[in-house]
Amino acid sequence: MSPLRSGWLTRYGVVAAVVALSTFAAVFAPGFFSLGNAATILLHVSTNGILTLGMTFVIITAGIDLSVGSLLGLTGVLVAAALTAPGLIAAVGVVGAAMVATAIGLAAGAAAGVANGTLTAFLGINPFIVTLATMTIARGAARLVTGGVPIGFPPMGDPAFQKKVAALDALHAFGGGRLALPGSTSGFPIPALVMLAFVALGAVVLSRTRFGRYVYAVGGNEEAARLSGVPVRAVKVGVYAISGACAGLAGVLITGQLRSGGPDAGMLYELNAIAAAVIGGASLMGGVGSAWGALTGALLIGVLNNALDLLGVQAFWQEIAKGAIILLAVLFDVWTKKRNGGSAHD
Amino acid sequence: MTLLTLRGITKRYPGVTALDGVDLDVESGAVHALVGENGAGKSTLLKIVAGATAPDAGTMAWDRRPVTVHSPREALARGVTVIYQELALVPGLGAAANIYLGMEPRRRGLLDRGAMRAGAAAALADLGLLVDPDRPVQELSVAQRQLVELARALVREAKLVALDEPTATLTAHEVAHLVAQIEWLRAKGIAVIFVSHRLDEVRRLADTVTVLRDGRRAWTGAAADIDGPTLIRTMVGRDVVFERRPPGRAADPVPLLSVRGLSRGWVRDISLDLARGEILGLAGLVGSGRSEVARLIAGIDRPARGTMTLAGRPFRPRSPADAIRAGVVYFPEDRKQQGLVLGMRIRENITLAALSRVAPRGWVRPEAERELAAAAAVRADVRPPEIERRTAHLSGGNQQKVVLAKWLLTDAEVLVFDEPTRGVDIGAKTEIHRQIRALADAGKAVLVISSELPELIALADRAVVLREGRVQGQVRGALAPEALTALAFGAA
Repeated sequence: MSPLRSGWLTRYGVVAAVVALSTFAAVFAPGFFSLGNAATILLHVSTNGILTLGMTFVIITAGIDLSVGSLLGLTGVLVAAALTAPGLIAAVGVVGAAMVATAIGLAAGAAAGVANGTLTAFLGINPFIVTLATMTIARGAARLVTGGVPIGFPPMGDPAFQKKVAALDALHAFGGGRLALPGSTSGFPIPALVMLAFVALGAVVLSRTRFGRYVYAVGGNEEAARLSGVPVRAVKVGVYAISGACAGLAGVLITGQLRSGGPDAGMLYELNAIAAAVIGGASLMGGVGSAWGALTGALLIGVLNNALDLLGVQAFWQEIAKGAIILLAVLFDVWTKKRNGGSAHD
Repeated sequence: MTLLTLRGITKRYPGVTALDGVDLDVESGAVHALVGENGAGKSTLLKIVAGATAPDAGTMAWDRRPVTVHSPREALARGVTVIYQELALVPGLGAAANIYLGMEPRRRGLLDRGAMRAGAAAALADLGLLVDPDRPVQELSVAQRQLVELARALVREAKLVALDEPTATLTAHEVAHLVAQIEWLRAKGIAVIFVSHRLDEVRRLADTVTVLRDGRRAWTGAAADIDGPTLIRTMVGRDVVFERRPPGRAADPVPLLSVRGLSRGWVRDISLDLARGEILGLAGLVGSGRSEVARLIAGIDRPARGTMTLAGRPFRPRSPADAIRAGVVYFPEDRKQQGLVLGMRIRENITLAALSRVAPRGWVRPEAERELAAAAAVRADVRPPEIERRTAHLSGGNQQKVVLAKWLLTDAEVLVFDEPTRGVDIGAKTEIHRQIRALADAGKAVLVISSELPELIALADRAVVLREGRVQGQVRGALAPEALTALAFGAA
C-alpha cells in the first residue's frame, strides 16, 4: 500500500475490513459466496474503482476533483455520438469506430483534466472551486450536445441502423463483455479486468516512477517540493489529467455496457470516488494514499452494497451504512495517527 | 511585590529536556528579561506561563498562592497575556474586534460595537497608536500589530505581560517606541517578561535578568550587576563559542557568482561576489533582507531589476528547478516548512532534488536509490543513518542533516545556507559547520546567513552586511563582532 504509512493496522485495516465483511456476508447472505456474485461485485465496482484511482492521484497532491462524475457523462455522450456517426463507421469500419470512440473518450477526459490542472496550478485557483465549475460546465455541455436525451440505439428506419447497432455492439464487447472463466458460467467482466489493470498500472506509477514520487512530495509539502526543484505545476496538471482520463475511461466502459451515452450518467459519482479514496486511506491533507488503497476502498463500498442487497436491506439503510463506514475509516485514521504519537515536539 | 513564582519547572519532550528545574520570580512593576541561546528553553518557559503547555514537574504560585494552570484561558482570566513572535491576531478583523476577541461586550445579546470601538481606540491611544480600530489588522505593520496585542492586554487589565522577542523584526524607530510603551506598562505596575536576543536592549530596559542555558537557569540578578561580555559568557557557558576552522584553500581570484544591482520590493540594489573556495557571510538583523537576497539568488523569487552571472555567463533562474540545474541550491531557513516533506522517509527526502540520477527515463531504481541515499546520509552524518525512518520523528539536528544530504546529492557549485543551525543542538552545529567548511574547501562557493554572530565569525571568511534591504558594508579578513554589529544596527 502507501509508502508513506507504517504499521500493520494502517496498512491492512481496510483489507481486513473487506475480508471480515465478506466472511460475514458469505455466512449470512444467500448467494454471496459464488464466483458469479464476485464477478457481479467487481463489475459494479469497476466504474467507481477507476474514478477512485484517478481521484486518489489528485487527493495525494492535497487536491480534489469534483468534475469526474460530469466528465463521465460528457465523455460517454461524446463516445456514443462518435460511435454512431455514419461517416466514421464508413471510414474506419465498425471495430475501428469503437477504437476511435474509445480514444476520443480518453482524450476528452484527459483534456478536461488538463484544463482543471492548469487552472489550479498556474492560476492558483482552489481546486474545489475549479472542478466545481468544470463539473457544472461538463454536465451542461453533455445535455447541450444531446438535447437532454441519451444518444445510442438508433430508431427503427434509420438508414444506417445496421451499422450503428454493430458499432454499439463492438464497444459493448469492451464495456459489457465477459471473459470465459473455467468453473463459471457468467465469466469475468472485462471492465473489472480493465480496472484491475489500471490499478496495477497506477500502483507502479505511484511507487516506482519519478512522477509518482513527486505526487507524494507535492502533497506532503508543496513548498519544500518546489524548493527541491520538483516541477510542482506540471505534477498538478498531470494528476488532474490522470483523473480526467480515468473519468473518460469510465465513460467509455459505461457507454459500451449500456449501448448508450446518457447526459445524466455519473451523477454524484465524484462523491462516491472521494469516499472510496478516503476509506482506502488517502488523506485530504495530502501526501498519503495509494492505488491499492483506492481499489480496497471501492471494493469495501461494493461488497457492502452487494451484501446488504442480498440480505434484503432497504436501499436507504445502505446509504446510512455507507456514510457510517466513511466516518469509521476517518476515525480509524485519526486514532492510529494519535497512537503513533505524531510529532509532540515544538 | 512578587506576582508570579515558579519553582523547579521541568518540561521534557521526546529526546529533549527543554526545561530542567527552573526557578523564576516575576515582580509587579518591573521588567524581567529572559535571555539565552536558541533552544535554551525561553519559549517553553513562556508557554508554561501562558498555560499553553503543562510542566512535567514544578510548582507555580500567583500572588503567593499556589496555582495550576490548565489552559491559556485560565491564565488569561488571571491576568497573564503572552505576546508571541507570531502574533495571535485574526488578520481580516479590525483592531477593535481583535482586542475584544473572546470577551466581546454585548447589549441585548448583540455585539456592542460602539463600546468596543471606543475602548479599543482609548487603549490604542494610550500606546501611542492612532489607527482606525475597524481597519483590518493585516493592513498594519508588524510594530502596529504588536501594539494592538498590547492594547488587548490593557483592555483585559493584565497584571503580567510577556513578550517573546518583540523587537526582532522592528526598525530602530519602532523599537524605541515599543521600549517606551514597555516602560509605561512598568510604571503602571504591570509585571513584564521580556525575551530578547538584543543584549543592549535587555541591559537598557530590564530590572532583573534571568539567563537560561540548555534548559537550566544559569544566572539571575539585577541587570545593573552584569556587563555585556559577562552576559554573553553566561549564556553560552564558555568564552569561545565555535572553533573557527581555517580555510583549507584560498578563494579563487575570479568570482563564480556575481550579483549586480539586484532589487525586488524593499530589497534594493544588492551587489556581491562569491568565489569558489570561500564562505561569504550575509549578516544583518532579522528583517534586513538576508533571506530575500538568498531567495533571489536561488530562483525562488524573481528580481525586478539587476543581473547575475554564474561562471561568466548570465544567470537568470526562473524557478528553483532552474537554479538547481545551473548548480545553485538554497538551504532554507525553516526546514519543516521548506526543507523537508515530513511525512516521507529519509531516503525519499534525500533523493528528492536529485531523483533523476536514480530514475533514468522516469523509472526509479530502488537499489540505486537506496545506495545513493545511504551514502549521502553517512556523508552528512545523519545519526543513525537509517534511511527508511520518517523525517517527522527526527531531532532538529538530524532533520537539518537530511536537508544537507539532499543538497549534497545535487552536486551544486553554489550553496546558499539560510540559518543552517537554527534550533539545532551544539554537537550537530559543530558537525554542520565542519560540512560547510568542507564544501568550500572542495571548491564550492558558499553563502551563509546567520543571526548568530558567533556562528558567522566561526564560519565566514568575509561578510556582507545588510540593513533595511540594502548593502550596508563589507567586512573582510577576520570578522570582528563589533564591526558586524555596528553595521547591522546602522551605527557605523
